[in-house]
Amino acid sequence: MTDTVVPTPLPEARPAEPRHGVGDRRTRFDALGRVRGTLRYTGDEGAVPGTAFAGVHRSTAPHARILSIDTTAASGMDGVVGVVTGADLAAVLGDRMVTGPAFADQPCLAVDKVRFVGEAVAVVLATDLATARAAADEIAVEYAELPPVYDIDDALRGEAFVHDELRPSSVFADLAHLRGVRDTNVCYEYRQVLGDTAAEHAAATTTVSATTWTPPTQHVSIELPSTTAWVDSGRLEMLTTTQTPSYVRQTVATMLDLPLSRVRITTRPLGGSFGTKMYDRLEPLAAALAWTTGRRVRIDATREEAFLLTTRHGAQVIGTISADSGGELVAVSSDVRYDTGAFADVGPRITAKSGLVAPGPYRIRSVDVRSRCLYTNKVSAGPFRGFGVPQVTFSHETLIDELARALGEDPYRFRRRHLLREGDVATVGTRMHSADFVSCLDGVTAAIGWDEETPPGDGRWVHGKGVAVGFKAVLTPTVANATLNLNQDGSATLLISTVDMGQGSDTIMAQIAGEVLSLDSRRIHVVRADTDATPYDTITAGSRSTYHTGNAVRLVAEAMRDKLIGFAAELWDVPAGVLVLDADGVAHADDDRRISLPELVHARFGAAGATVTTAENFTSRWVPYDHDTGRTEKATEHWFAGAAAVRIAVDTWTGRIRTPHLAVAGDVGRAINPTLVEQQLTGAALMGLGHALFDELVHDHGQLTNATLLDYQLPSFADVPERLTPIIVESAHRDGPFGAKGVGETGILPIAPAYSAAVRDACGVRITTLPLTPERVVEHLEDRS
Amino acid sequence: MGWSQVSAVRVHHPDTLDEATALLRDLDDALVYGGGTAISVLRAQGLLFAQDWVDIARVPGLADLTTTSDGLRIGALVPLRRMETDPQVRRLTPLAAQTYGRVAHPRVRNTATAGGNIAHGDYRLDPPTALAVLDATVHLTSAAGTREVSIREFFTGFQQTAVAHGELVTAITVPRQPERARGTYVKLRSLSENDWPCASAAVLAVPEDGFVDIRLGLGGLAPTTVYLAYDVTPDMDVEQAVDAAIDIADSAMDPIPDIRGSARYKARLGRIAVEEGLRHCLKELAG
Repeated sequence: MTDTVVPTPLPEARPAEPRHGVGDRRTRFDALGRVRGTLRYTGDEGAVPGTAFAGVHRSTAPHARILSIDTTAASGMDGVVGVVTGADLAAVLGDRMVTGPAFADQPCLAVDKVRFVGEAVAVVLATDLATARAAADEIAVEYAELPPVYDIDDALRGEAFVHDELRPSSVFADLAHLRGVRDTNVCYEYRQVLGDTAAEHAAATTTVSATTWTPPTQHVSIELPSTTAWVDSGRLEMLTTTQTPSYVRQTVATMLDLPLSRVRITTRPLGGSFGTKMYDRLEPLAAALAWTTGRRVRIDATREEAFLLTTRHGAQVIGTISADSGGELVAVSSDVRYDTGAFADVGPRITAKSGLVAPGPYRIRSVDVRSRCLYTNKVSAGPFRGFGVPQVTFSHETLIDELARALGEDPYRFRRRHLLREGDVATVGTRMHSADFVSCLDGVTAAIGWDEETPPGDGRWVHGKGVAVGFKAVLTPTVANATLNLNQDGSATLLISTVDMGQGSDTIMAQIAGEVLSLDSRRIHVVRADTDATPYDTITAGSRSTYHTGNAVRLVAEAMRDKLIGFAAELWDVPAGVLVLDADGVAHADDDRRISLPELVHARFGAAGATVTTAENFTSRWVPYDHDTGRTEKATEHWFAGAAAVRIAVDTWTGRIRTPHLAVAGDVGRAINPTLVEQQLTGAALMGLGHALFDELVHDHGQLTNATLLDYQLPSFADVPERLTPIIVESAHRDGPFGAKGVGETGILPIAPAYSAAVRDACGVRITTLPLTPERVVEHLEDRS
Repeated sequence: MGWSQVSAVRVHHPDTLDEATALLRDLDDALVYGGGTAISVLRAQGLLFAQDWVDIARVPGLADLTTTSDGLRIGALVPLRRMETDPQVRRLTPLAAQTYGRVAHPRVRNTATAGGNIAHGDYRLDPPTALAVLDATVHLTSAAGTREVSIREFFTGFQQTAVAHGELVTAITVPRQPERARGTYVKLRSLSENDWPCASAAVLAVPEDGFVDIRLGLGGLAPTTVYLAYDVTPDMDVEQAVDAAIDIADSAMDPIPDIRGSARYKARLGRIAVEEGLRHCLKELAG
């Protein structure tokens, strides 16, 4: 071992600020690579010689028995090395080929039965992708159609069933009681009961009802899903586009009946995801194909196929709100119906987590929420930025806005009066902390000049303003781990399984660790999730990483600080309590002894390049819902609070909506990196704008009719509001890392209801079906007149 | 001349127009490749199946944009962006420049070509509305020779054009817009701002001796681009002129309902586009 280190003279002054620690506006470390295209994504990896490319043959029937699959023509094509059907996989893997986070209801290839148009039925493996896809088209499947369950009404009618019986997976223990339940499309129901809503509604002086509909939408992340799986020395290895590497490892290990140590999931940065690359997407199929054929298998989804992998839940909410003569909120009833499609995915979790906030963040005397997750013969719906909450937010904000109008009150001030404050108990039974709705609401209304006069119309254009709040619980309980290697040169390598998909997690995690260790965060490298190296982390989703993984990172850095101080204490034979770690290394508080980190680590190990390792865990806990009331003293580790206010102009001839000013606010506890927080608020607001105005997946008899980018609409730069103001509210969380919480979803929650409220203000019509397309606006204007 | 393979498609690269037309004559199902913006998307959607692409990029002269004694000659490979920005186009046919400038977004306009645009034949295309009111002519070349087709007869049905087997669009000629004429293009979307039009109208008001010749080109409102014309006589005021325009547009509109709107809504937008465009032109003429 060589040990030639040149001792560096002790610096006389601290390095120049900023260190790019907590609170600093540090640029994403990978920003240039992302915009210049030099950052390599999963799909950019060249194919290793011998790779078998997958072409997927998909169902053309929404609900049917598979009578036969003829693979003769496909098998005979030049370049085809194999054709695999669901029956082939079932013969090897049995029931284990059916996976899913809540219910074991997703066969990686259909067996006996198909449940939506686009379900994977068979796979061609070929020496090149074009051949694989062309051969997949040559597969002929004979179906016997079954009665389809097209929508929520069909699902509740209970005449046809998407699944013969419910099969809860082993992942969520609380679903075990549903095992074996037959003759239902309702795979989960959450109830929340507080007080006596029937009596309160009956005694109320003012009651408002609305049935809202938010349609299914697609995430349309720029990067398409791509998975490559191979077998190496008896281990299943994979490179995949996922937000949930730890979950994928567990799923693949269970499916292949392997110890976790024999499964390796590796990742690269994602080119956006928003929930589309989570849980069981291409990974179970790729693993099953690689394991059963022994080949290196690569599956690349086309844009059209990505639409068939997952969507946001369409949701209907039948809601009623009542007030007494003093204007107090006495009752909210909410019947929530999530269309989860053919596979439950995390629909049951969405149903509960969204159901628990369905009444809204208000002081309400009684509530009755019934939130149900329904199977239909559609593409499976799963997580999407907001986790089902935008759908119920559209309901509770529509109701409170209309109630304020019915009472002759200003919608902003009426909300403000009733919003939950610090220390209040939400209807779900959990106390509020670090959820400053009032500051969010005040901030967005001030930004758009709520009390300024609305411009008069000109006969064609009319103007209006709208406001809404958003309220969400963070996924609880979850687990986060972090491992930190301090390198002898004073740089550091942080191992976490959070996946950077553009949100900037690698950047802010380095800022948190750097803050604790007084290190410039640019000297800390965050390792890409690799289950052979990075420790377990529940998921990168639900805005949970800043708080949970951030806390694990804070803890692991604190442990490192203590360890380094311990080294110096031993070196100098002094108590650790008299030593401090600062930007120059470890210093004695009472004399001028001081040692830099490179010297300290070198002194300890006698080796250049040595590493010091610490590992820590952060786990959040909850109290399960009460069986009868759905209430709990701890539903969530923390709350998200947000608000939006918008000024719009409506063209009464065409129905088109223009946005002079949109303001969006979120309480983030503490902004680790204000620039990234503002960008998250802005990005979420623009995604919400699409959902408000035109994003929508359209079905016709179970067939998606606009699942291409020719017809599916997303906001473009030309749709960006003329002014867009992100507002950071900081109400520190007592347990957050430096007080911080996440922000990825906060901004999307209140956008659609703020727009519909603004249309109500401008035109006098209340539209309860999204999106607010020009044609829908015109229809409402015609109905009014 | 040579060919390369793009997945399952053979791409031919003729060096001359004769080679190109020979390929188009001899191949069963060949597609001319210009800018490729529509072809690549339609192929990805499984809407185009041609096995042979004839890339005309190497054919000399097709990217030329020239002024002629009575207007413009636009080579098939002239990018839309050039049609939008070229000073000669802006001077001689301002309506065309305006309309080309409204296609999609700059990245598409930099790549898509004037010939490929009309050959696409989609009923929602922007430029054909202006080309129709400007009375453009399409030049088609085959191994047998060249023929000319009025743009007003070029679009023969839903996604159908007058281009026959063996032919390609080599140029579009556009007469100079009459000096005193005033024109504008109105594009109305129902979904995102970068979307196809839900309805569009190019309007040109041409003062003649004792009347104003009103020409309308409608996009997205029937299975093909629609060309209409009528006269505004001195006894008609603006309101009557608008009513007449809406009446004549109504008689010709046959919108296809889809996710962008019902037939009824598209017709409504069609009337608004015509009215907006016409009022703008008449105001400019009066001013």
